[in-house]
Amino acid sequence: MTSARDDILRALRTALNTQAPFPADETPTGLPVTRLEPSEDLVARFAAEVERVKGQVHRAENAIKALDFVRDLLVAHRVQRVVMWDEAHLPLRGLPALLSALDIAHVHGSSAAIAEAEAGITGADWALAATGTLVLSSGPGRPRMASLLPPLHIALLTEDRILPRLEDYLAAQRATRYSVFRYSSNVTLITGSSRTSDIEMHPVFGVHGPLELHIVLIKNPV
Amino acid sequence: MEAVPFERAVHLALADEQLQIALDRGTTRGVNARLAAMGETTDPQALRHQARLARERALNRLPELLEQLERNVIANGGHVLWARDADELNQHILTICRQHNVRHVVKAKSMVTEETGLNHALQAHGIDVVESDLGEYIIQLAGEAPSHIVFPMLHKTKEATAQLLHDKLGMPLTDQPEVMTRFVRGVMRQKYLQADLGISGVNFAIAETGTIATVENEGNNRLSTSTPPIHVAVMGLEKVIATWEDYAVLVQLLSRSATGQRMTVYNNLISGPRRPDEPDGPEAFYLIILDNGRSRILASEYAESLACIRCGACLNACPVYQNIGGHAYGWVYPGPIGAIVTPLLRGPLTAPRLPYASSLCGACQTACPVEINIPDMLLKLRRDLVQAGDPTLGWRIGMRLWAIAFRSPLFYRLGGRIASWLTRALARDKGYLRRLPPPFNGWTDHRDFPAFGAPSFRARYLARANSRSNGKR
Repeated sequence: MTSARDDILRALRTALNTQAPFPADETPTGLPVTRLEPSEDLVARFAAEVERVKGQVHRAENAIKALDFVRDLLVAHRVQRVVMWDEAHLPLRGLPALLSALDIAHVHGSSAAIAEAEAGITGADWALAATGTLVLSSGPGRPRMASLLPPLHIALLTEDRILPRLEDYLAAQRATRYSVFRYSSNVTLITGSSRTSDIEMHPVFGVHGPLELHIVLIKNPV
Repeated sequence: MEAVPFERAVHLALADEQLQIALDRGTTRGVNARLAAMGETTDPQALRHQARLARERALNRLPELLEQLERNVIANGGHVLWARDADELNQHILTICRQHNVRHVVKAKSMVTEETGLNHALQAHGIDVVESDLGEYIIQLAGEAPSHIVFPMLHKTKEATAQLLHDKLGMPLTDQPEVMTRFVRGVMRQKYLQADLGISGVNFAIAETGTIATVENEGNNRLSTSTPPIHVAVMGLEKVIATWEDYAVLVQLLSRSATGQRMTVYNNLISGPRRPDEPDGPEAFYLIILDNGRSRILASEYAESLACIRCGACLNACPVYQNIGGHAYGWVYPGPIGAIVTPLLRGPLTAPRLPYASSLCGACQTACPVEINIPDMLLKLRRDLVQAGDPTLGWRIGMRLWAIAFRSPLFYRLGGRIASWLTRALARDKGYLRRLPPPFNGWTDHRDFPAFGAPSFRARYLARANSRSNGKR
C-alpha cells in the first residue's frame, strides 16, 4: 500500500505534468496594501489607527510618565494579579517595584493560574503604523498568555519600534532570513482588542481575548 | 445526495421571515464594509491582480511547495500527516487523540473539518468537542450547520440567538449582542482551560518557513492553539503559498474582503510547537494536509477554483445568496464559490441545481479578491451537466430550436414577430401575461411575463440609425 503522502504528491504532479494551470508570471508582489503618505508622522498615524480599532494609546514623555500610566491603569482596573514579560524584554524599568508598592501579585506557571490575572503586561517587537498593529513574538521570558488570557492587556512600546506597514516588518525579517519564525513558535499580530461581528455582523468588542488593549507609547530618550 | 431538494430549500428559505431579516442585515453590512475597505487601498485592482498572481504561482508549484512546507514544519519540531480523503483526516485525529488520551477538544473555526464531518467522528468515539468561535459555538448549541464561510450564524437574528442562549444555558434574555457575547466568554473560559487538544484551520501555510497563518478577531483561535498541550492544524492542500511577500498581500485582502477590516484583530503565525525555552504554548504540533478531491480539481479546467481564499465576499455580493442564505446550498460551502466547489468536491450529480443558482450577473467575480471567474465556471459546470445527460427531452428540444432561431437572421426576425404578436394578443393586464401553458409556466408560476413592446427593438434601432445618418447629410 502506498502512503497518502506519495499518492497525493503523485496526483498533483500528474495534474501539473501535462500543463501548468496558469501562465508562469513571476511578477513579484511589490505593491503595499494600505495607504500611507511618505510625509506621514508614523507615531500619530499609529495612535490614530489604534483608537480606530478601540485600543487606547497613552503617550508618555519619559519613563516616569510611562510608569504613572501603568499605575493608573492597574489601579483603575482594581488589578490584584498580573502576568508579565520578564523585565529584560520590556522597554521600561521599575515595574517590579511598582507592583510590590501596589501590593499586586506577579503570577507565573499554568494557564489556570494565569487565567486568574486581571492584567497582562508585555512589550512588543514592533508596531505597524498604517494599521495600528502590534507584533509580539513568543520566547523565553515572553509568555503568549500575557497578551491573551487577562481581560486587560497593557503593551509597552517605544516610538522607535514603529514601522510603516506589515510589508516593512516582513522585509526586515527577510533580511534576517526569517529567524524569528525559527525561534518563536508563535508570532502574533495584534490589531485592537478582541471583537466579533458574528451576531448580525454587529461589532462587539471584548470576546475571548482581552476586553481592553492599552498601549503605553514611550518617547525615545534624545 | 441532497438532503432537501434545492427547489424545496429555496422555497423554505424565501418563506422564512427571520432568515430574510437576518440576510438583509448581514449581507448589506458585509457588502458595504468590503467596498469601503477595498476602496481605500493603494490600488484595489492592482492589488487584486497581485493577489491573484500569488495564488497562481502557488498552484503551479503545489507539490514542491508542500514538500518544502513539510520539511520546514518538521525542522520547527512539528509533525506532518497527509490525508487522501475526509475519513483519513478524521482517522488521523482520532489516532492522535488515542495516543495522547484526549477527552476534551476545543476547536477554532475550520471549514475543512466541516467538510470531513470531524465533530461527528470525534463524538462517535466519546470525545467531547466544543466549537470556540462565538458563531460556531452558538450554532453548535442549536444543532445547526454554518450558513456562511466567515459569519457562520448569519442566518440567525440576535433575537433568536438570545432565546437559544436562554433556553440552553439559562442566560437572562436580552437584545444586546454585547451582553450575549460577554456571557459566552464566561462559559468558554473553562472549556479552553480543560481542553486536552486544540484544533484549528489554516488560512495560509507559508512554505519558506513552515509557518501556518490563521486569521481571527475573537481570540478563540489563539486560545485554542496556545492553551491545550496539543495543537492540530488542518489544511486543504491548496492553502500553501510560497513567500511572506505573498502572505502580506493575501492576508490583507482577505480581511478587507471578508469583514472590511484593515487587519483582523489577531493574525497568528504558528511555527511548530513551543520551543524548549518558551514558557507556554502546545508541546506537540501536528499539521494535517488534506486532498479530498483537490488534486482532481487541479487536473481539471476548474483549477482556478483552488485559488479561493475563503473570504466570503462572493456570498454577500450574490443576489441569490442574499435571498436564500447558506443552508439552501445543501453543503459546507455556500454561495457562488460553493456552487462550484460543492459539485467539484462531491461529484457533479450530487448538486445538479447549484450551477444554475446564479443569474450570472458577475457580482461575485467583481467582489473576489483573487479575481476568480466564477460565472465562467458555473457555465462550464452547466455544460458538464448537459453532457452527463441531465436535461429532460423537452429542454433539449427547446435548446435545439433556440439554437436554430439564433443562428439564422430570418428565423430570428420571424420568431420575434410571432412572439410579439402572440404575447400582445394574449396580454390582458397592463401588458402582462398572467399565465402561460407548459413549459412556459416555469416563468409565470412565479411572476408575470411582459408582452413584447411595439414597435420592436430592431425596428426602433433601424429607424434611429436611419434618422442619424439622414441628419448627418
